[in-house]
Amino acid sequence: MSASIAMAESSRSGGHALLDGAQTAWDMLSEEQMQKPITTGCEELDTILGGGIQCKAVTEIGGIPGIGKTQLGIQLAVNVQIPVQYGGLGGKAVYIDTEGSFMVERAHQIIEGCIADLFENFEHRKQSLVCPDILQPNSFLANIFYFRICSYTEQIAAVNYLEKFLEEHQDVNIIVVDSITFHFRRDFDDLAMRTRVLGGMSSKLMRFAKKHNLAVVLLNQVTTKFVDGSFQLTLALGDSWSHACTNRIILYWNGNERHAYIDKSPSLRSASAPFQVTSKGIRNVTSNCKRVRMM
Amino acid sequence: MSLDRVDKNWLFRGQFMARPHIEPLNPLLHLSSQKLTLGCPLLDHRLRGGLPVGSVTEIAGESASGKTQICLQILLSALLPPSRGGLSAASLFIHSEFPFPLRRLRALSSSSSLSDPLDHIFVAAAHSPHDLLSLLAAAESLVARPPTRLPIRLIVIDSIAALFRSDFDNTPSDLKKRSFLFFKIAAKLKEQARRFGLVVVVTNQVVDVVGSEDGPGRLRVGNYAYLCSSGRQVCPALGISWANCVNTRLFLSRKDMIVENNASSRTTRRMQVVFAPHLPEASCEFVIVRDGVFGVDL
Repeated sequence: MSASIAMAESSRSGGHALLDGAQTAWDMLSEEQMQKPITTGCEELDTILGGGIQCKAVTEIGGIPGIGKTQLGIQLAVNVQIPVQYGGLGGKAVYIDTEGSFMVERAHQIIEGCIADLFENFEHRKQSLVCPDILQPNSFLANIFYFRICSYTEQIAAVNYLEKFLEEHQDVNIIVVDSITFHFRRDFDDLAMRTRVLGGMSSKLMRFAKKHNLAVVLLNQVTTKFVDGSFQLTLALGDSWSHACTNRIILYWNGNERHAYIDKSPSLRSASAPFQVTSKGIRNVTSNCKRVRMM
Repeated sequence: MSLDRVDKNWLFRGQFMARPHIEPLNPLLHLSSQKLTLGCPLLDHRLRGGLPVGSVTEIAGESASGKTQICLQILLSALLPPSRGGLSAASLFIHSEFPFPLRRLRALSSSSSLSDPLDHIFVAAAHSPHDLLSLLAAAESLVARPPTRLPIRLIVIDSIAALFRSDFDNTPSDLKKRSFLFFKIAAKLKEQARRFGLVVVVTNQVVDVVGSEDGPGRLRVGNYAYLCSSGRQVCPALGISWANCVNTRLFLSRKDMIVENNASSRTTRRMQVVFAPHLPEASCEFVIVRDGVFGVDL
């Protein structure tokens, strides 16, 4: 867009504006990369998400224990790192673990699965598209900036601290908070204050998403509410704060299959897709489907 | 603890810029993956090594399913050196079920190769959730500055359900109060697990699944559509709220089978992984014998 504005200005002022507003081709490519969504590892889920988890947006992902929220969180922190040469963003991740669910050994497995699939999908190439040091599990682990939070005060401090951290680490393309509500579900004397604090936190995260072109993924728990004579699953702490989220995805069991559906989105239609949690991470249910990405 | 007492100013001005503990993952690889052996290689194998340090594992099951037996067994395995899957550590056993199984613990410890194991096991009774919270607060100084030469690195709570049996009715406001306590207790346990490198094990009872298809008891949580024990469909007590509070949930079940024209009955026992961030669905049959709890290969 800047290039066309530059062209328009140059036609008026005779050439000088071409330098002021112009972008290099590299800048345009970078901007395009930053808009690229982050694949979830499951093609069907990517499809209903319009390609994957969007940058410059806050996505809330909720579901009951054991459905795969943390699995998806770790998968995204890994997939954001897929090198540009392999069709990814080549970015880094911030993982804020508030519950102690992040297990390094599982992250290691997911990383190995991701690297294996990259090689398989690009096997027509005789050699690696990037320096071999990049496609190593330890390299991927080093690119996940991990924060372990043990209380709501630490959570508030961590989000405040991110402001400076993101300035110093411009290559972070995703922030995962696992989970956003756990420390706020205890007793508070002033519930209105709690709502304001959570709201403030999510607006701050939204600001980071827009300013630094990154995806913010907030994992949330669910609770049961007795509504209209039946029990319904709702996201913890309700709608009082999550209006600041751009998108909302619910993970749920459909018989014996895990499904994800889009509960809220400004641009995507409400749709649902099945996914699987395998030893390699989040994948399609029909795992024999291979798609070779041609660059 | 109330949010009021926290300085409201810094919350809103964002002036509190203290650097939270940022941990580069590589150096932590060995700490985060450390596991406590259950005392049986087969059971350990299903759990990829045993019970993880820094996380809360729940063992749910009906009465006499083996929960307490496993708890006693890990009090002893904690004393083993890391080379044998232990933590070289003392333990704290908080019980809400009475009486405390001292005789069984003595029997198990006498058959173990360790010297004076009982000197390194601290036992405390809790009668209510507030008791538990006070104990955990007091335990913090015990864990930070252990009185014996061995640090405390295992906390067992047997059981969490018994603490909430009385005191709470089924009214929405009581359920809410109960839920608040779950999150307060869980946050405390997880914080201590993290700060002191503890293994935390919490046992839970089960309740029968009754009610309509749409009821909360029918909600699938984890790897199995149904959990059964003694021929009944059951689910762990304390609802979805508490399920949100633990990292790993294991389920122990038993099945009594009549053999040979009612001449005798045989009990088969099974441990299942209901959910865990690092484990796939897995199950293992086990037995409880004089020397302890052991997995069996079929």
